[in-house]
Amino acid sequence: MANITNVYSDIDLTFSRQPITGDVSLVLDNRAVISSVRNLLQTNFYDRPWQPSLGSNVNALLFENITPLMETTIEQEIRNVINNFEPRVKIDKINVSANTQEDGYNITLQFFIGNNTQATQISVFLERTR
Amino acid sequence: MAGANSNIQVTDLDFTSIKTNFVKFLQSQDTFKDYNFSGSALSTLLDVLTYNTQYNAYYLNMVANEMFLDSALLRSSIVSHAKLLDYVPKSVSSPVAKVNVIARGGANNTTLTLPRYSTFVSKASKGQSYTFVNTDTLNATFYNNTATFNDVTLKQGTPTTLTFNYSSTGNPSASFELPNTNTDTSTLLVEVYPNPSSSAFDVYTPTTNFLTLNGNSLVYFLEETATETYRISFGDGILGKKLTDGSRIVVYCLISKGSDAAGANNFVLTSNIGNYSTSTISLLAAEGGGPKESIASIKYQAPKSYSAQNRAVTKQDYITLIQQNNLGVTFDAVNVWGGEENDPPVYGQVFIALKPSGGYTLTEIQKQKLIQNVIKPISVMTVEPTLVDPDYTYIQFNSNVLYDPNKTNLTAAQIQNIVSNTINKFAQSTLNTFNSTFSSSDLTTEISKADPSIITNELSIRVQKKFYPNLTTPTTYNFYFGVPLQRSTFLSGVTTAPALQFRNPVNLLENIDGIYVEEVPVTSGGIESISVINPGFGYSIAPVVTILGDGTGATAEAFINTKGNITSINVLNSGINYTSALVSISAAAGDTTGQNGGATVSLQGQYGTLRTYYNNNQDAKTIFNTNVGTIDYVNGIIKLSGFGPIQVDNPLGQLTISATPTSTIISSSYNRIVTLDPFDPNAINITVTAKTT
Repeated sequence: MANITNVYSDIDLTFSRQPITGDVSLVLDNRAVISSVRNLLQTNFYDRPWQPSLGSNVNALLFENITPLMETTIEQEIRNVINNFEPRVKIDKINVSANTQEDGYNITLQFFIGNNTQATQISVFLERTR
Repeated sequence: MAGANSNIQVTDLDFTSIKTNFVKFLQSQDTFKDYNFSGSALSTLLDVLTYNTQYNAYYLNMVANEMFLDSALLRSSIVSHAKLLDYVPKSVSSPVAKVNVIARGGANNTTLTLPRYSTFVSKASKGQSYTFVNTDTLNATFYNNTATFNDVTLKQGTPTTLTFNYSSTGNPSASFELPNTNTDTSTLLVEVYPNPSSSAFDVYTPTTNFLTLNGNSLVYFLEETATETYRISFGDGILGKKLTDGSRIVVYCLISKGSDAAGANNFVLTSNIGNYSTSTISLLAAEGGGPKESIASIKYQAPKSYSAQNRAVTKQDYITLIQQNNLGVTFDAVNVWGGEENDPPVYGQVFIALKPSGGYTLTEIQKQKLIQNVIKPISVMTVEPTLVDPDYTYIQFNSNVLYDPNKTNLTAAQIQNIVSNTINKFAQSTLNTFNSTFSSSDLTTEISKADPSIITNELSIRVQKKFYPNLTTPTTYNFYFGVPLQRSTFLSGVTTAPALQFRNPVNLLENIDGIYVEEVPVTSGGIESISVINPGFGYSIAPVVTILGDGTGATAEAFINTKGNITSINVLNSGINYTSALVSISAAAGDTTGQNGGATVSLQGQYGTLRTYYNNNQDAKTIFNTNVGTIDYVNGIIKLSGFGPIQVDNPLGQLTISATPTSTIISSSYNRIVTLDPFDPNAINITVTAKTT
């Protein structure tokens, strides 16, 4: 992270204030990319106006029965959305494991950002909310 | 953020273009760099912003479009713009037919009333029968056991009565909606009763002219609503009489099927009048009628109506105001010209030729109404409007088509059909209106293009006039073809169809049938002119000119100049019966030096003669009358003099005169219309030949 500075900058979706300037705060570099990946995973098809194919079907898949096949399907879905819409990310490893106790999936995503050789890892727990 | 030089495009209406513009704008700053990545938060915000921008831009564009008559697309907007121009779009209008109704069995001098909206049903036309009604209450008196209602005008439609009660608190604008979109507004009859129980009423009439109104004018205003229904509203006591509280308004009108019922005929009154048996004689099949005025027509007519300002001064004023008549008559074509253009000129008159939609001519009553109610009130006082019927010249097409059967799998009959459609389409788009021009070569080009397998085609045309001869009194008719006619050669002369019956002049009790009119094949005439081909020399006195030939009576004189040359020869008497002639020029007595003068003769060719003939019992052609009229080949005029057949062998009683034009370019002007008769099965004759290899 130290060897790439301020290549990417995005607005923080929480719209929190930068304490000193009072401006809306920025998210930079790795954090910007990670938040972008999260956004993509949480966007459904037809969510964004005039861009029906932007997003993934993960949300719908969470309502399916939890099976090993579903794990693979979710993994493929994540792979597709990132390959299609996030050119900054090169996926290293995706691990989707069902958590039958809590009706969700533990997802661990490991990827490289740009030419950075150090992998970045994010873990999310996806569960249906309604 | 953005630098001063970054510009943002504001003309785009498309989502992607608007977003691209935003992205371009963001490229000029470096605080936020992730605008190009779909997953970024910035991209989400950009989407929302773009969506909002597009939404507003589209909405504004729609509003701006609908704000102007030229660009508006919604009928309600266009009608509203037309309202500002004081223009009421025309409603659907019903076809009109005419019948006589005869009732039998009443005592002499008893008066019989045919109530308004008595129902007549037409015999099925195009598989559908229609209900027509009379729009006025009529009276007739029995005489010799019969009472006849003459010339009853019938309109197609379902009579509807609407009743409204007026209350100034519930309906302060005094306006009432007529809920049916197919109301024929020319049939509106508005009666106002001072209270619901009153039997006395006032009849209110429509108006658009505010200049003549006062607080007692019994008028209503008509407008189309946003939902394509109609609304009538009443005056406020200053412009038009104000309704009093509690008055009852009764509106009678017809709900029309438009031009669908045109052509309906053979009407039958569905119920007897009183207790008398009735029969109906159809005089005129239903004509006219039309749909509700189209958006395009409103856009076209409304500004013109405004510019004419309800005054008929210029030619265009007349055309616009006639098109907007409130009589329920629509016109395919209107032409107007000043009487000074006539030959001979007629000053102080304006001539108006009208072709009603779905018909050929207006009835006398329609003409009178048009002059009295539409044109007179708005025309300049000293100018007398005169309606003239259109003079139709029909074209008969004979087409020869050669096609290559290897290039198509269509049969000859199908090719024939394609060609027939092409001719019909051509006639529809270029003919059937005033001031149109028919060009034969344009049509041959169209036919060649009609199908790729057509190699070539040739087209010959005949021009025709159709009329109903007077069968009781011999009458003289003039037919103006508007194009020079060809002198008769074999099978190309003037002919008529169908056969006629004449009374035998030798035995007046006997009729001769099967009589036709034809052009006398070789018409022998006189000398038209003599032109000098050799002036000669040495003439001291004008030489003697002698005309030699098979005719008799022609004489001419020569003129010489001071040098002794012949300058011209003038025909004094054109003589008769010449089919060929020579000129001999000889020196006059006492002139010893004049010699060598020469000249040629032109025989008269402008006029031809028509005769009638029939085939007698032995099938031998017998001339019935050697001279029934003349043909002016040069001006294209055929005249039938004292023409008195007693019957035309045709259910309609219509006689057709055909002639061959010398020119294949036919223009119409003034009241002339060149057209193709859609009802004539012989109007288009096509011969299709396959090319043999």
